Amino acid sequence: MGLLGFFSQWRTNSKIKSLESALQGRPTPVLYLQLADAHKEAGNSTKAAQVLKLGAARFPSAPEIIRRQAEAEKVERENEKKRLIDKIQSHPNPILYARLAELYKADGQIEKTIDTCQKGVKAFPKYGGTYLVLGQIYVEKKQWPQAVTELEKSVELDKYNYLALKLLAQVYMELSRPADAAQRLEDILYFAPGDEAILELLKKAKESAGQPVDPPRRASDDSRPVSKANTRILKIPEKKADNQRDKALNDGVAQLRTVQGVTGAILVDQYGLVVAADLDASIDEGLAGALITNVYRTAAANSVKLNVGEFEEGLVEGDSGNIHILHVDEMILAVFAKADVKMGLLEKSIRDFAGTIIQRK
Amino acid sequence: MREILGKLNKTTGIRGSMIVNRDGIVVASDFSVEMDEAGMGAVTSSILQALDGALKRINMGKFTRFLITGSENKVVVVSAGQAILLVLLNTEVNMGMVNVDIKDAANAVAEKSKM
Repeated sequence: MGLLGFFSQWRTNSKIKSLESALQGRPTPVLYLQLADAHKEAGNSTKAAQVLKLGAARFPSAPEIIRRQAEAEKVERENEKKRLIDKIQSHPNPILYARLAELYKADGQIEKTIDTCQKGVKAFPKYGGTYLVLGQIYVEKKQWPQAVTELEKSVELDKYNYLALKLLAQVYMELSRPADAAQRLEDILYFAPGDEAILELLKKAKESAGQPVDPPRRASDDSRPVSKANTRILKIPEKKADNQRDKALNDGVAQLRTVQGVTGAILVDQYGLVVAADLDASIDEGLAGALITNVYRTAAANSVKLNVGEFEEGLVEGDSGNIHILHVDEMILAVFAKADVKMGLLEKSIRDFAGTIIQRK
Repeated sequence: MREILGKLNKTTGIRGSMIVNRDGIVVASDFSVEMDEAGMGAVTSSILQALDGALKRINMGKFTRFLITGSENKVVVVSAGQAILLVLLNTEVNMGMVNVDIKDAANAVAEKSKM
């Protein structure tokens, strides 16, 4: 790099620092736009897109930032589509099909979405995420019977899938089946207790079904009766076929468990489905995945309101142990550890594994 | 309660703090910049519900603390008896240094909330 290049980079970096500092004090849409431009100038379009996303989340009624964010997302989607198509050719796995279908769906390419899902279902019929995307498409098209078929299949393959259960309940309501809707919503409350959106839907479903409406319950309320639905959901699901699991990811998760004090680890995809896990036999991995997804979803959805920006990682401490939650490559990694685990060692192992996941991308 | 927050906020790296009850209602707050405090309180309550459920069902005991690291800041949500203490931190903060002060403040809030 020549002297001029060095000076230009120094100037851009100084500008970034100054804008970041100004945003800490009093954030405005203009500052977010300027910071995104500065990152773009520095050649970091991913960071620029991240800044625009944060700005849009904080200022949802600022038109310029919304427009710029939509543009940046579209460019990112196009790049990601190309990458996924290549990856499906070389190293196919079910998540790639579901992700690609999601991207087509986001761009309104309905036929391509359905075609990608159908190919995914044919190649990996036991993965629930692809059925979920198909179900979402049929919901958008108001083709309720087809939506029920796909969503029921998704739920059958993964009993703890928040999105699939919620959508299925909404479709049941459209089909005037409120009792079935209520049962699915009760299922969700088992692993997402206190979820206000679900409680509201459940109230409506029960009223429509002529069932008594229980008062809202707290997550810590041990007196919550276990409904028939919950008895069903508590049944440990069949172990998913190992050939659907990525060996490298499973090995990585197993490696984490070798750290002294670690009691288990689990990797969950963006649909809440377990990608890899190494847990005590007493813990139902599907349920653990659903609980972690719920914690992650709640924290990530509210991180801007909490003024921390985009969620990167979390450490939950209970009086009998810790859960480390990390967002990595559109997946959620959770590591369960005893309270006395050596944090430095564990964090290094987690970062090494996260690095491996990103490199595989 | 405001005195506890004021003392805590003198620690280097802390950008502000608040106390909410378990239903997310703000009891006291002290931030150096303008915040949507009611919104933060409501969000804290919903996160707490998700955490309580998760910890109970995977046998990790009662909730004590949740540290979120974001792209802009960190936030710690700490159980403080009947109340919840929320502390907003800079990303570069030395957690070892602030942990002691946060714990002391949480204990003081827990004591006050008994009254």
